[in-house]
Amino acid sequence: MASPAPLERNAMTADGAHPLVETRNLVKTYVLGGETIRAVNGVSLTIGHGEYVAIMGASGSGKSTFMNMIGCLDVPSKGTVLIDGIETGDMSTDALAGLRNRKIGFVFQQFNLLARTTSIDNVAVPLIYAGLDTATRRERATAKLIDMGLGERLMNTPAKLSGGQQQRVAIARALVTEPLILLADEPTGALDTKTSEDIMAIFEELNASGITVIVVTHEDEIAQHAKRRIEFRDGEVIEDVAVENRIIAQPREQGV
Amino acid sequence: MATNAPETMSSLSPKRNVLASWGVNVAIAFTALRTNLMRSLLTMLGVMIGVFAVTLAVAVGNGAAEAVTDSVNRFGSNMAFVIPRPDDNQEFGPPRRTRERGRLTERDLRAIENEVPNIRAVAPQLREAIEIQVAGGSTTTQAVGSTPGYGVVTSQLAQRGRYITDSDVGSAARVVVLGETVVESLFGEIDPVGQKVRLNDVPFIVIGILEAKGSTFGDDGDDTIVIPISTMRQRFVGDQLAGPYDLQFAFVAFQEGVPLDKGKDDIVKVMKARYRVKEGEVTPFTVRTTKEFVEQTNQITGILQAVLVSIASISLLVGGIGIMNIMLVSVTERTREIGLRMALGARKSDIRNQFLVEAAVLCTLGGTVGLILAWSVGLALSNYADFPVPVGLGTALGAVIFSAIIGLTFGGWPAVRASRLSPIEALRTE
Repeated sequence: MASPAPLERNAMTADGAHPLVETRNLVKTYVLGGETIRAVNGVSLTIGHGEYVAIMGASGSGKSTFMNMIGCLDVPSKGTVLIDGIETGDMSTDALAGLRNRKIGFVFQQFNLLARTTSIDNVAVPLIYAGLDTATRRERATAKLIDMGLGERLMNTPAKLSGGQQQRVAIARALVTEPLILLADEPTGALDTKTSEDIMAIFEELNASGITVIVVTHEDEIAQHAKRRIEFRDGEVIEDVAVENRIIAQPREQGV
Repeated sequence: MATNAPETMSSLSPKRNVLASWGVNVAIAFTALRTNLMRSLLTMLGVMIGVFAVTLAVAVGNGAAEAVTDSVNRFGSNMAFVIPRPDDNQEFGPPRRTRERGRLTERDLRAIENEVPNIRAVAPQLREAIEIQVAGGSTTTQAVGSTPGYGVVTSQLAQRGRYITDSDVGSAARVVVLGETVVESLFGEIDPVGQKVRLNDVPFIVIGILEAKGSTFGDDGDDTIVIPISTMRQRFVGDQLAGPYDLQFAFVAFQEGVPLDKGKDDIVKVMKARYRVKEGEVTPFTVRTTKEFVEQTNQITGILQAVLVSIASISLLVGGIGIMNIMLVSVTERTREIGLRMALGARKSDIRNQFLVEAAVLCTLGGTVGLILAWSVGLALSNYADFPVPVGLGTALGAVIFSAIIGLTFGGWPAVRASRLSPIEALRTE
């Protein structure tokens, strides 16, 4: 099969002239029971093109809130997020939806696949919102699923797939719009060790191909795969270091 | 950096294939309906009953109006009736004088025929219920005593044998033309033309059979006989009349295209002159036209239809509320899916449209079934109950479009609610 033409916008923006993700004094507060909680308390950092970052922290440390904000799913209370040099603070919800669609791929702990929907149709969902026609959607979704080693599982619904397979469908879905960033929130949280290793191998490969990978995790072992490690506590970054003694996940035989 | 931001932004929103996303929405809608099949069917049932009721109400009203127009057309559409009865329908008239009686004679009718322009035919009438006797039995029917003009005015001449003629009228001949219903009940398969019959014990010769008229609203146009008006007067009704030339009724048919209001005015003018009716006095006769009759009847059937449709609309409203209810449930159940779709790039309008399409699909399916049911019942009523209930193309299209609008209206609020969810809140929902 001829590989589908890449989406045109990447040619315009992937120039690497500015950091891919930049936060400036990012604050998120919640009011809970009359008390104001600062979930993220003034975080400024940059993540460059091609980085592989693990965001660590205990639950309640603010790491997920931070991730939701750089994923443009949540709006900061104060401060700004720039994605690929674009200020997101004054963007409309529709413009943010477009930004998520084109630049960010999400992978969730619970996979979040649509039930009773085939792998192809699940992977093709972001392409609907990118405005592509049915034939192109199917073509690109199929290509991504084959890349993920799921060529035999194109027409399976999630119920007919193992956890590892489901997460690979989810990764195919995250990558199908050729995003610049892969944002994974506890991607191995629902998987066994062996399968987790497979997923980390895929991330390794993706990062090698130039995609920026940001993994939110509370597991040291998973964080050990990344090149950079940012640790949160009480809404602030307490550590931001290069990972020493990285674990390089080895791809296993596909087709679990 | 700030200067090139708008340019970069626009690159994020390339032209989207609108049709493709609507197609996807329809597919999503059908998947959702299949997933909750029983629930969807029950919701559709509400809309189905509503559309069924409204469509049938509209059709019944249209059928009534159609029947009126139809019966008038069959009878002859461009016609005035003259009745020997004081016109108590006159506006602003003084109270009727108590002993005043209605007047209409053959001479009046002749004057009308001579003085009013554009008349096609006139038909004086005397009517009486008469028993027809043959060797094998008897039947009672409405006998009309008239002139050859009656056949022209009512467009019901003889299909076999002949109609009454001027010479029959001149000689008060004992001849009769029978309607088909009368023929069937008295003669069966035997040809009645030339046979002898007795009308209230007076011997008559059957000279012809009337063209079939069919029936309207259960009123059989073939259960009638026609005899010369002179014969009717001499043999049957003469002693009931006030004068030797009095009529009970007269039809005046105008040429096609002659305005009936003008024709009526002309008749009234001639009659007023003959009876020396002064300005403001009640006339001893009444003139009505088919146009007035149709207008009055349509007004009544229009009110009837409006009442029926209003009542039926309540069931459609209830069906619509059912749609809203189920759409709210659907949105709540699928909050997480909504969050996911938003994370993957769905805009507010994408989410809104998805649920609007789902509601519209529910309604349109229900509405289509309701329409088919109404159409079937209408067809059955038209065929077996002898009452036209036409579900026309306009009614059908209207019903389907209306049910889609119901879907969009009642599905609108749940859909907008869904589209306003915050992506992160929606994703966090269990």
